[in-house]
Amino acid sequence: MTERGPRPGELEGVAEAVVETRGRPSIIWLIPLVAALVGGFVAWRAFSERGPEITISFETAEGLEAGKTQIKYKDVEVGIVEEVVLAPDLSGVLCRARMVKGSEAYLTEKTQFWVVKPRIAGGQVTGLGTLLSGSYIGLDPAREGKRTRRFKGLDVAPIVTAGDPGRHYVLRSDRAGALDVGSPVYFRRIAVGQVVSSELDPADDFVTTKIFVRAPYDQRVHADSRFWNASGIDVSVGADGVKVDTQSVASILIGGIAFDTPSEGTTEVAAADAVFPLYENREAAERRHYTRTVPYLLHFDQSVRGLHPGAPVEFRGIPVGEVTDVRLEFDAARAAKERFRISVMIEIEPERFTTLHPDETTRRQGLELLVASGLRAQLKSGNLLTGQLIVALDMHQDAKPAQVVWSGPVAELPTIPTPIEEITASLTHLAERLGRLPVEQIGNELRGSLQALRITLEKSEGVAPALQATLEQADRALASTNALIGPDSDVNSELRRALLELSDAARALGLAAEQIQTQPNSLIFGKEGNQ
Amino acid sequence: MSAAPGTALAASCASCHDCGLLSRLPVAGAHGVRCPRCGAGLHGRKARSLERTWALVIAAALCYVPANLLPVMTVTSLGKRESDTIMSGVVYFLTHGMWPLAVVVFTASIFVPLLKLVSLVVLLISVQRSSSWRPVERTRLYRITEMIGRWSMVDIYAITILVALVRLGNLATIEAGTGAVFFGAVVVSTMLAAESFDPRLIWDRSDARSP
Repeated sequence: MTERGPRPGELEGVAEAVVETRGRPSIIWLIPLVAALVGGFVAWRAFSERGPEITISFETAEGLEAGKTQIKYKDVEVGIVEEVVLAPDLSGVLCRARMVKGSEAYLTEKTQFWVVKPRIAGGQVTGLGTLLSGSYIGLDPAREGKRTRRFKGLDVAPIVTAGDPGRHYVLRSDRAGALDVGSPVYFRRIAVGQVVSSELDPADDFVTTKIFVRAPYDQRVHADSRFWNASGIDVSVGADGVKVDTQSVASILIGGIAFDTPSEGTTEVAAADAVFPLYENREAAERRHYTRTVPYLLHFDQSVRGLHPGAPVEFRGIPVGEVTDVRLEFDAARAAKERFRISVMIEIEPERFTTLHPDETTRRQGLELLVASGLRAQLKSGNLLTGQLIVALDMHQDAKPAQVVWSGPVAELPTIPTPIEEITASLTHLAERLGRLPVEQIGNELRGSLQALRITLEKSEGVAPALQATLEQADRALASTNALIGPDSDVNSELRRALLELSDAARALGLAAEQIQTQPNSLIFGKEGNQ
Repeated sequence: MSAAPGTALAASCASCHDCGLLSRLPVAGAHGVRCPRCGAGLHGRKARSLERTWALVIAAALCYVPANLLPVMTVTSLGKRESDTIMSGVVYFLTHGMWPLAVVVFTASIFVPLLKLVSLVVLLISVQRSSSWRPVERTRLYRITEMIGRWSMVDIYAITILVALVRLGNLATIEAGTGAVFFGAVVVSTMLAAESFDPRLIWDRSDARSP
């Protein structure tokens, strides 16, 4: 647009020149163009970098703040909480969070979220940094599994995250023991892993304990490794006395699991998630190294008080197996006296013997031969203090002949009464023999001897006054002797002088002896100086 | 179009913007006209005033949106990051009882830029439509717009000083956000827009229409 009007004095009627007012657009339009481009770019980037929106449910919103709380993995921010609302059924809180772009790949149903808070567990302190910076949501990404946008937050941080090198194993036991999530796993008293979870198996009544063993220690877990509960102090009072076993002070307080791998066993490293039995203690774990067991049945007619499952079966003092079951049997078909029988199930570990029976038939024959030559089981006192009983096997040549009973599902070995019964029997025997002793005759002879003794004593009574007079005379003699040799007596001073002379003489004799030793000829020629 | 009688332009004259000397414009063309005294370029009205002002106002309006949506400042204190937009800062001050500060920030950072944009648009439209509506008030509006424009930079200055001062490593760090850049662009372009607008155009039109 022009800024010049028609000039005064110009000719009327002359056509006015067309002034190009909107020619080339001014360069100033670049400014809004640039502003639009930059603004558009920022908007596009913000939109394109928007990651997926996820919803995590938590028990409480403790430490969660909309717009502030971050979601972090390895301390890298991968999302931010945008909204925290109560769940519709008021059972918890729903946390809506915006993740960064590219996080879809690891937002699967196995991905775990938890609020990182200061925590003391498993003997270690974690999350102290959040005391100052405030809580954040931790993330354990898992690539495998179905992708999802809804998650259930964990109450506590998982012990092991996906990135940790190592392997998980499953332990099964009939009870949990003092195990907690985070309890250490020991290998030769080195903490090599942790308990990840401990829960009741829904399928049966066993407790499934998941553990994690860090690399490179997972290479130590072989297919024949033995796991046992190392919680607290293991005090066992068995037939061999009192035993105390523990792994570390930490395991006394928070429990723990220990494992060991036999050096002579397989070298095959156990696969991840392999299932192992969890033994109650180290002893039980070691005992199970004998994989083959042969059950036998024993019947006892006497009290088995003090005999428990787990009691050792010994052959001449060497453990060869253990008692697995003790139960009372009532058999109405038998005679009244024998209706109650106690059946004791034992397991013999044939691997404990150096010679193994090659097959079943020779085992039968061998056993029958042994029984025929006197193999019997009997109850013996294992520990006098605790009253524990053991089953002892031994060869009793004088035992009544018996047979192995093969009729039942389990072979039955013959038994003989316990030594206590034998002692009772021999005591009775002793009493009988004592009863046969000629007590009256002995008494009569004894009485005669005593009478003779009394007569002798009566005779000696007359001797006493004479003895008195003799003693008085002796007293007097001693007094006069005392006066004779007392310190002021003449005898004493004479004696002293005589002694002095004697010592002079001894000295002279000593000199003479010396003279003779140095100059033997002086004996003949006299002293040299005198020549 | 005819200039209002009694103006320098009506008499084919122009006063120099730099030294104020009134000089007669040559008859042929107005390009390359210089002040005989100081040598500054001479033109009766600011060249392409409305076009330039429009461009800058549009640019400012475009930048105003991200300036208010994006965070202007990110405070990292003890590992806790807090990003604040201008409005969330105002809300923060209000909820923490610092309402005088909230008023200052609101006025300087939200109200004034918006006021400038709106008043410039009103002036531009009224001039283009050759409106003769209240020229005195419109001129006053222009003067106010030009005068208060610089105060919007208070925010930017505050952020720059904080960013420079608070460098305590892990304890506390303040970083300027993208919003601050856009906000600065808004302030600068509105100031330039106000500068490029020629208030005499208000009177050119109103006088031309008035009998």
